[in-house]
Amino acid sequence: MKSSKPRADALLQQYQTRHDEGLLPLAEELQLHIAGLLKGHERVDRVSVRAKAPASFIRKALVAGEVDLKYDDPISQIQDQIGARIITFYKSDVDRIDGLIKKYFKPIEFKNRVPESEWEFGYFGHHYVLVMPSDVKIDGIDFAHIPDFFELQIKTLFQHAWSEANHDLGYKSDGALLKPDEKRKLAFTSAQAWGADQIFDELFQVRGQGTS
Amino acid sequence: MSRLSGRAGGIALTVTHIHTFLVHPKKATPEEPEVIGTTVPLTGGLYKLLNGVYEKADHECDVDITFRPTLEGKQENICRDLVIDYLQSPNIARGKHLAERLSAHTDRRSGLGLLFLIVGKVGAENKVVVSRFPTDDAIYVDDKPNAFSVQYLERVFMKNKTSYKAVLYRHRSLTGGFWSGRAIDKQLNPRSGEPSDYWISDFLVSEFTATPAQGTRRFATAIRDAAKKAALGVKQELAAAATIAAGFGGLKLSIDQFCARLSLSSEARNAILSELRASRTAQEIFQFDAVLYKELVPYKSIELSNGAMMTADTERFDKVFKREDGSGGEVRFTTKGKIVDEKLKTSR
Repeated sequence: MKSSKPRADALLQQYQTRHDEGLLPLAEELQLHIAGLLKGHERVDRVSVRAKAPASFIRKALVAGEVDLKYDDPISQIQDQIGARIITFYKSDVDRIDGLIKKYFKPIEFKNRVPESEWEFGYFGHHYVLVMPSDVKIDGIDFAHIPDFFELQIKTLFQHAWSEANHDLGYKSDGALLKPDEKRKLAFTSAQAWGADQIFDELFQVRGQGTS
Repeated sequence: MSRLSGRAGGIALTVTHIHTFLVHPKKATPEEPEVIGTTVPLTGGLYKLLNGVYEKADHECDVDITFRPTLEGKQENICRDLVIDYLQSPNIARGKHLAERLSAHTDRRSGLGLLFLIVGKVGAENKVVVSRFPTDDAIYVDDKPNAFSVQYLERVFMKNKTSYKAVLYRHRSLTGGFWSGRAIDKQLNPRSGEPSDYWISDFLVSEFTATPAQGTRRFATAIRDAAKKAALGVKQELAAAATIAAGFGGLKLSIDQFCARLSLSSEARNAILSELRASRTAQEIFQFDAVLYKELVPYKSIELSNGAMMTADTERFDKVFKREDGSGGEVRFTTKGKIVDEKLKTSR
C-alpha cells in the first residue's frame, strides 16, 4: 500500500492551497447562488455550503481499498470537496425542493438515502452529486482549484439535527467503534426523528398548506 | 474541463493514436454492413488534417455537455464507459465499441459517416476528440495546362458540411473525470431533416451542462437588472429586446448569441454582460425556456388589433395601464404620465 507519509504530506499541501485559494471563496459563491434560487420559496430554514476541511480530506484520501488506496487521484475523485445542504421544514418541502434542484442543476448522481431495511433506522435524506455551475466560477477564483462537482443534501430539520448529532457522537476521533447499545440509542433517536417528520408532515397536509 | 488558448499555454499537444471507422446507419436498418476500422499513421496528409482537428477542438467545440446518469440516478453512463475503456488502451477493438454505438444511433437521414478517434496528452491531461465526418458526393477536377478533366466522386467525407460533428474530452483522471466535454453540433437549431439530438443525446447520452432553467434564468435576470440600471436609451433598447426574446422558446443559444440575434448595440450588450457574475456564462449554450422566461421577464408587452403597442415593467404593467373589457373581445387601456422620451422607429 502506498500510503506513505511523504505522499500524505504532499497531498495535504496541495489540498490546503486548493482549499484556501479555491474552495473557500467558491463555497461562498455557491451559497449565494443556491440561496438566490430559493429566494421566495417558503419553509426553507437555511442553505449552508462548506469547503471540506484539509484534515477531513486527507482522512478520506487515505482510505484503503481492496488492493491499494481507494483513490488513486483523490483531488479528481473525491466529490464532496464542496458540500451544500438545504434544510426545509417538512418532508413535502424536500420533494418540492428536489424538483427545483433537478431543474437548475445538472446531476451525475441522485438518490434518496434510506436505511436498507424497514427494520432499521439511521441516515435519511436526498443526496446529489451536481456539476459545479458556471455561475459560481467567478473571475477571481483560479479555475484549477474548482472541482468538477459538489455534493448537495436536502434534509428536513429533524433529519439535519439527527445527522449532525450522529456525526458528532458516532465518529470518535480515536476511531473507537460504537458499542451495540450505543448503536441502538442512535437508531432510537433516528426513529423518533423519522416519526416527528411523519407527524409534522401529516399536520402540514391536514392544515391545508400542503399544496403551497 | 479547462478552456485553452493558443497551443495550450505553450504545452505541446501530442497526438498519440488515431483510429478511424466506417460507420453505416444501422438505426432501423440493421442489415447495413458492420463497422470496420483501421489505424491512421501519424504521418502524411491525413494525419496533418486530423492533427488540425485535434488542435482546433479546444476552440471549435463550444457546446458544454455532460453525460447523463442512469434513470435511477446512478453515477454510470454507457457512453462514458466506452470512452474511458478506449482511452485506457486505445486500439481498434476498443474504439469499435464506440463506432458500433454511433452506428446503432445513426439513421439514413444522417447517412454514412467516418468516425475518427484522436487521442493525445496535454501536459498531465488525457485528451480525446471524437469526430464524425459526413459523406457526400463531389466532383473532382483535374486541372492541367490547356485542359482539364472532371470526375464524379462518391463517398467523399467532408468536415465543412453542416452535419459535421465532434466532441472533445479532457481530464487528468480517467476514473474521476470525463463527465463533461464540449461538442460541435452545427445543427443545434436544425432546419434540415436530420435529427438534431442523435449526436449529443442519443449517441453520447449527454445533455447541455446548463439546464434550460439555469440558462434562461441567468439571461432573464441579467437583462432585467441591466435595464434597471441603464440610461434611458439603453433601457428602451433592452425593454424591446426583452419583449422580442420571449418568442425564442426552444432555441439553443448562448447569451452572446442571443445578444447578436437581437442586434443589440454594444452598450446594451455590455450592460447585460456586466450583470453576469461569471463572465464565461455568456458563452454557455442552453435551451431557452419561454415559459420560465415569461415568469422572470422584466417587460410585458401587449399589441392591439388597431396597431397600438404598450410596454411596461411586468410587475407594474397592471398598475400603469388600466384595463376595461368591452363587448366583442375589445378592451380599452388608459394610462397617464409625463412624456420623458419619444422616438420614431423603423421597426419594432
